[in-house]
This record gives sequence, C-alpha cells and structure tokens, in this order.
Amino acid sequence: MTTDAISPFISEPWTDPSAKPFIRIRGISRHFGAVKAVDNVDLDIYKGELFCLLGGSGSGKTTLLRMLCGFDNPTAGTIEIDGQDMSHVPPYKRPVNMMFQSYALFPHMNVAKNVGYGLARDGMPKAQINSRVEELLAMVQMEGFGARKPNQLSGGQRQRVALARALAKKPKLLLLDEPLGALDKKLREETQFELMKLQEDLGVTFVVVTHDQEEAMTLATRIAVMVDGKLAQVSTPRDVYEYPNSRFVADFIGGVNLFEGRVTADEENHMKLQSPEAGLEIHVGHGVSCSPGQRMWYALRPEKIRIARDRPDQPHNVVEGMVEEVAYMGSLSVYRINLDSGKQIKVTQPNLDRAQDNPISWDQRVYVSWGSSAGVVLPT
Amino acid sequence: MKSRLGFVPVVATLGFIFLYVPIISLIVFSFNESKLVTVWSRFSTKWYAELLNDEQILDAAWISFKIGAISATAALVFGTIAALALQRFGRFRGKTLLTGMISAPLVMPEVITGLSLLLLFVAMESLFGWPAGRGLTTIIIAHTTFCMAFVAVVVQSRLADMDSDQEEAAMDLGAKPARVFWDITLPTIAPALVSGWLLAFTLSLDDLVIASFVSGPGATTLPMLIFSKVRLGVSPEINALATIMILIVVVGVVLAAWIMASSKAKSSTTY
Repeated sequence: MTTDAISPFISEPWTDPSAKPFIRIRGISRHFGAVKAVDNVDLDIYKGELFCLLGGSGSGKTTLLRMLCGFDNPTAGTIEIDGQDMSHVPPYKRPVNMMFQSYALFPHMNVAKNVGYGLARDGMPKAQINSRVEELLAMVQMEGFGARKPNQLSGGQRQRVALARALAKKPKLLLLDEPLGALDKKLREETQFELMKLQEDLGVTFVVVTHDQEEAMTLATRIAVMVDGKLAQVSTPRDVYEYPNSRFVADFIGGVNLFEGRVTADEENHMKLQSPEAGLEIHVGHGVSCSPGQRMWYALRPEKIRIARDRPDQPHNVVEGMVEEVAYMGSLSVYRINLDSGKQIKVTQPNLDRAQDNPISWDQRVYVSWGSSAGVVLPT
Repeated sequence: MKSRLGFVPVVATLGFIFLYVPIISLIVFSFNESKLVTVWSRFSTKWYAELLNDEQILDAAWISFKIGAISATAALVFGTIAALALQRFGRFRGKTLLTGMISAPLVMPEVITGLSLLLLFVAMESLFGWPAGRGLTTIIIAHTTFCMAFVAVVVQSRLADMDSDQEEAAMDLGAKPARVFWDITLPTIAPALVSGWLLAFTLSLDDLVIASFVSGPGATTLPMLIFSKVRLGVSPEINALATIMILIVVVGVVLAAWIMASSKAKSSTTY
C-alpha cells in the first residue's frame, strides 16, 4: 500500500514491532499512600493516534493523564515522549498541552487573550500572536469572538475556545480530559466528528480520557480500558467490542450475556461448552486453546441473538425461553427473555419494518438462537 | 385574624434599638449647637468646623491614617503569603499548627496581645536596640500582626473557592509558577485582597487597647486621643469626630463586603 506513508490512520503501527512509539510508558505507578491509583502500567502510543483511556471513576485514567502532562509525578517508572524522558520535567517545559474538563478558561481575559496566552509565554511578537489567534479561531469556527469574555459564551463555544487554546502552541501531543463531557447529547455527537476531523487534519497525537464508552468507540484509533489502576485491554474499538479479553471488558463495553460452562470437546475447528446456565451445549465454530473440563465463559452480545416463534433450522445453539419484557426504543427493540434454564438474557432486534404484524410480545414462548461465531469464549 | 405585632419584628426592633440608639444619639448630638452634650439647643455644624482647627486632633488623625495604611499593606502581604501556604502547597509539616496559630489572634484578648507585644518590644530593645523606644514603628508592627490574621482568613476562603484548573492550564501553556501567580492567581483573588486591606485598615483605625500598650510619646492615635479627652469630659467636638470615624469604618466594611459578594456572584455565573 502506497498510502501508508501519507496517512498513518490506515496503517496500524501497533501491529508493526519495528515501529517506534511516540509515547513510551514503562512500569509507571502512582501511589497515594496505600491507594495504587496507577499500578505498573506499560503502554505505547504511536504518532498520529487518537488514543482513548476509558475507565470508570477511580480507575486511574485521570492520574495517568496528569502524569503525561506533568501535574503529577510518578512514584515509579518512566514516561518517554518523542524519545525524551519526561518523568520529571515540569509541565511548562513539556511539548504537551491539555484541554481541561472544566475548560479552565481564564475568566478575566477575553477569548483572544486566552487563546494567545501560551504564545505570549513563548515570547512570540504581538503581531504574530494576533494572526495566529485569528487562524485558530477560524479553525474552530469562532471568528469574531476574540473580544468576548468566557462568561459571555455558551458551553459549546467555550469548548471550542479551550480547544483552540490547547492547540495554539502546536503541541506534539494533545491531552483531552473528558473533552465533551460538559456538552449536551446532540452537540456532543456533532463535536465528536469535528474533533476527529481536526485531529486528522493536524496530525497531532491525541490522548483522550473518557468514561463514556460510546465516545471512545467513535473517536479512538485504539482504546485502553482501565480498571483499578491497570490496563485491562488495549485494542482497536472493534477488537475491544468483538474480542474482549475478559468478562470485565466484555461487560464494561456495551451489553453482554455471559454463560458459564465447561469444555466438553476441543477440536481444531470447533469446541463445545456444556453450560447448565444456558441450558445447552454451546457450539463454538473455532478452536480455543483450552483443556477438557476447564471452566470458561461464553460472552454473547444482545444484537447477535435471534428470536423466533418457530424453531430455526440449525443444528446447534438453539434454546427456548419466555419473553419477560419488551422495550421499544425506536431504532431497535430490547427483549428480556427468561430461558428455561432460569437465566435471564437480553436480546436486541432492529426494527426493520414500520408496521409489524403480530410482533413478539410479553409472555410468549420463543426460540433463541445464535450462530457458531456469534460469541466469544473467555477464560477469565 | 387578630391584629397584633408578631414576635420577630418586635424582637428585631428592640435589638436594633439596643445596638444603634447610642450611636444615633452620638451622631445627632454632634450637630448640637450647645456646648452641653446632653441638652439639645439647635442644629449646627460648628463642632465639625472646630475639629478642622484642632491641631491635636488633626495630628492624631494623620498618625492613625498612616498606621492604618502601612500596617494594612504589610498585613496584606504577609496574610496573603500565609493563605497561599495553607491553601496551595499541599500538606507540609506543621500545617495544622500554622492553621491554628494564624487564627489565634482573632480570638486572643486584646489586652494579652498588647501586653505580650509590649514585653517583646522592651526585650528586643534591651537585646539589640531595635525598635528604639516605643512609637509609630511599634504600633505598626503590632497592628500588622493582628490584622494579618484577618487578611489570611479572607484570602484563604477565596483561594479555596478558586478553580485550580486555571492555574494548571496556565502552567501547561508554558507559564512558570511565578508567572502563573501574577497572571491567574492574583487577578482572581484581587477582590479578596482589596476587601482584606479595607478590613485591616478599619481594624487598625479602631484599635485602642493594643495601641495604648505599645505606643510611646509622640504617637497618639485617634482612638487614644478620644479616650483621653473623654476622661476630662465629653465635648460635642468628640461627638463630631466620632461621627466621622463611624462613617469611615462603615464605608470600609460595607465596601469590603460588597466587593467580596459581587465578585463571588460573578465567578459563580462564569463557572
């Protein structure tokens, strides 16, 4: 592919062992007394990535971000940015800028002064600052707002100003702490795409901290799922969703039905999992490295399950159940179904037609089925 | 419904009468033409005119003003430093002790503060000859120490309200810590600084007890002069002087409160 050199987004540098990472985090820890906010994390982030740190509150994602920009010093470990050790460089000397969750605009300065603040600290001449500020405001579609004070702006406008200010010094790395957290849903969706486009145009490496998995899925080239100060999984959005490496990740990203079972057959092209919880022997259409009798879990996304009144014509993975509840959500319907084994599962079905004759409804018996490659087998 | 006065308005009225009638009568009698303080004859401003010709009172007023301005400024600097240390430098050894020690002068009886400072100044003079004798310098030092506590409390509460993200953002954009203080912290706490200064100035202007302990010849403050004059009998001139002082203090306190309140309202609508 010849486009690889031009666009780093098509190539996947993390799959290339010879690629040099832009950020190298090695064995980094931050302990607050007995609390291990970040615990021995190794992470490589490559140039031009839009990398998402995803986790719940208290997962250590913000502490990791604060160590990247220098507001927090690691208890142990090193951070290299662009080949330089940054572990103990103060924030005002790092080639890194940050966009704060609260935006942290200076309330006593107007928009132009806010955006130009970093440039003025670098000793850039006034005329040059002015033209650069104009350019930045145009980039975030805020031309003509230079004289306004932050309290005269709406939430979305403040977000743009904060972004322009963080990009003013052309940082090699931009850190964004919940960049869209303070915006309402509709504005958030629009801004997500603008943010992605901007990042692509500028080629700056972005590291975004978020607790919103949808946001992470939309934005990221790769997602790191953080839990208890450790990285649970680092993969592309698709892999995190389709191939989670643990029950925690499967459950954290999107909805999932989990069935516990024991390995009964383990061949090269298929395996079988006897699951009393699901009330059947689950057939998996590929081999998994495991031993007979081993306890494993089968994770099945709600949208990968089919329901029907008539028994579907397939040899495996069919069970019966009773519809407990139906929730119509517009684009799709969510069903809660009690399997005959007693386990309740969640199934979503797209609403393909506007008018549905005799739709599946409460208290009806249905056949629940899925394909042999619909779910993923998890050892932990 | 029975028409009768409610309990709260009655108590409130009584309270206000109890607090303010003495002051109001003082203000009223400052405009009395008669030389007898308790007998009203007719309205006149002649005692105010007389004040302006009283060399002794003008001297004392000037001294009080100087002491107030200098000690308020010094208290502002030290009080702000103390507030910053407590609010911005995280945990350090002796922080709890410092917190307690800073607010101690707020509750310490003035007699004790005055006496201890007097003993300190006397000891210092005999040890290394400074401050030589008691006077303006010693009063300024004494006022600075107790006004500092008030400034520290006012500034600290403002710092606690301040969004530290702004300071971090400035640092992230390349400002060194001193620059961050000038560009971000100082403008944000400016209202607290102004009101802290005004409060310190008013407190210094009011003080009689501490000043009496540490004062010396040639340094008579206005409250000291009034007190000594009253011992020889109250004159309408003193009423006039007191009225002017009340005015200054009220303006100072109201201004300080207003600045704090309006800046708080502004910052809460911003973020």
